[in-house]
Amino acid sequence: MSGFSRTVTGPPKGGHYDLCVARGPACASALALTLIAAPLAACRPAPPPPVNEVVALVAPSLPIDPADAAWQRAPEYLAKLVPQDQVEPRLLTPSTPEVRVKALTSGGEIALRLEWADAAVNDTPGPGAFLDGCAIQIPRTLEAAPPDPQMGQAGRPVDIVFWRADWQASVDGRPDTLTALYPNAAINGYPFEARPLEPGSAAQREAATRYAPAQALGNRRVGPRPQPVEDMVAEGPGTIAAASAAPGGIRSRGKGARTATGWAVVIVRAVPAGLAPDARTAIAFAVWDGAAREAGARKMRTIWVPLAVRG
Amino acid sequence: MARVHNWQIGREMSYWYPENRPKKQFAAVFDINKCIACQTCTIACKTTWTSGKGQEYMLWNNVESKPYGFYPLAWDVKILDKLGPQSWKGGPYEGRTLFEAADAGERVLGWRPESDDYAYPNVGEDDCAGQIDKGAALSLPHMNWLFYLARICNHCTYPGCLASCPRGSIYKRPDDGIVLVDQGRCRGYQECVRGCPYKKVFFNPMTGTSEKCIACYPKIEQGLQPQCFVNCIGKIRLAGWISKPEEARADNPIDYLVHVRKVALPLFPQFGLEPNVYYIPPVHVPTSFTRQLFGPGVDEAVKTYRNAPNDRDLAGLLCLFGSTEMMLSRWRRQGSVVAGIDERGDAVMQVPLDEPVHVRPAYDRIYQIQRTNCP
Ligand code: SF4
Ligand code: SF4
Repeated sequence: MSGFSRTVTGPPKGGHYDLCVARGPACASALALTLIAAPLAACRPAPPPPVNEVVALVAPSLPIDPADAAWQRAPEYLAKLVPQDQVEPRLLTPSTPEVRVKALTSGGEIALRLEWADAAVNDTPGPGAFLDGCAIQIPRTLEAAPPDPQMGQAGRPVDIVFWRADWQASVDGRPDTLTALYPNAAINGYPFEARPLEPGSAAQREAATRYAPAQALGNRRVGPRPQPVEDMVAEGPGTIAAASAAPGGIRSRGKGARTATGWAVVIVRAVPAGLAPDARTAIAFAVWDGAAREAGARKMRTIWVPLAVRG
Repeated sequence: MARVHNWQIGREMSYWYPENRPKKQFAAVFDINKCIACQTCTIACKTTWTSGKGQEYMLWNNVESKPYGFYPLAWDVKILDKLGPQSWKGGPYEGRTLFEAADAGERVLGWRPESDDYAYPNVGEDDCAGQIDKGAALSLPHMNWLFYLARICNHCTYPGCLASCPRGSIYKRPDDGIVLVDQGRCRGYQECVRGCPYKKVFFNPMTGTSEKCIACYPKIEQGLQPQCFVNCIGKIRLAGWISKPEEARADNPIDYLVHVRKVALPLFPQFGLEPNVYYIPPVHVPTSFTRQLFGPGVDEAVKTYRNAPNDRDLAGLLCLFGSTEMMLSRWRRQGSVVAGIDERGDAVMQVPLDEPVHVRPAYDRIYQIQRTNCP
């Protein structure tokens, strides 16, 4: 277990500073040289210095868009990823080395922005095709020592929010059809779309569900969904299960988008129990690279990282 | 890893879970010599179970030409190549199983097919092993040959799919040994697809879960044989229940063929999964090839089968194949009548061992015309 506890030292103090003011005249000459290319970029607030724990800055509202300017004032934590090599099947070849994390909180909710490098977009499920994804994990209760960082342990659950690139593609408008996955597919027809069943009728949907037992059981691994994230709970490796949805459906929200070098994903969830300006909890991250055929236990993950709030 | 007993390889072996045999084990015998590759079984399964979205490419039952037909592409040669040459002289298997040969960090030696590997079911269809020179096909075994290998999930005693799933989403039913993917629990990691050497679990991109042959369990629960059995044109299939060898009963059709007469053999027993579909090997194929598929018992099995015309019991039991939709727990031969008996002890089917033969002379004297074989 990592050494996190409430006594973990906080981050080095240091707020934001304005790059233009700090650099003075040198900045002015630099501006003159780069005026055409980037007239305003040099005058944006400088990014806050990196921190050695995840610090959620208090913000009036939480941006869901990873490109939102509000993220610029949040300090960045560089989380080193290690291969999941505790339980079989293990990931023996390291892939994504690190994930850059920022956090904002409104008091009731916390927004986390994860950014990592990933050259290839893997958002199409299929045999032998795997999906880019990421997850955050937080202990269910605030304890002096959090449970095992590998998915918690029996009686000491962890809450997990999982984002996947194919769900994002679906939320972004990709139709839930086979030809969206296989554009060259030629399909003669399906028995449940044949007469006398009326298109869109309850009888037709019921007939279609007979050939999709996972959907009949409410296991929506893919398909149209309101959010690109899902809430999960686990009490050890192999135990992950859907969190019981609160009235009103999925609690967490999310949005992922491509950056120039990979993915940036925002996950918004309820503030972890007990997290306050004077109390830290722990958080862990995981990243799956579809191109490296990662799924489930084959993933890059962090150990627990302290998570603090700063007003 | 636990230590378990695998009678097909005649020794203990390593498996991910301890030995836990079901009360009854679903099993089947396929007589390869009778398969005509009509694919009726494939279509019977397809229309019953895999007509949904994301299942277009799936063939829970497929029939492929050997040696060059595959579904998915190269499924058998790839895993044989990964496992490497192993030795089995006839007693206990001396080589390594797929569980014993697993790489560090893996539960079973496996590989993942790509989408394209499923795109051409049975590529190599009807290609035989080599160029047929004049007269070559007239010798036995044939110098150049092909045969049809009908395949479903083997509902293995030690399933590679089940061992591979880190979530425990695959289970073996204690009542009948049928192996199922829990569609509510599966998260689509495709570990089972990687871990089944027979490639009989399939990932459904529209549901995001893995799906597989369910041995038509709703039918089996009613005492009926699965769809691919009862629709088989060649009547090559018989479904039933297999016992452990030391508990084999000669009046159990599957036990008789597998344990008593040893005429039906598992497919790639050296993989170590104790698969429960047993094949009567093709008699026209050199056993140097079929030994790799069915193990060292293949020469004896071929000899026994070829003697069936003089073997009233064996020939009689083979007559029960494809004769009834009912699952047969027992059988008996009385004179030239063979009876299939169900779970309750009722004779549900009687088949004559000797059918009346009418010889029609080539020349019809009444109409004064030469007869032909045309219908
Ligand atoms: S044949 Fe494959 S899918 Fe069927 S039980 Fe065996 S390992 Fe599992
Ligand atoms: S229906 Fe029977 S004879 Fe026809 S291909 Fe299938 S197994 Fe062979």
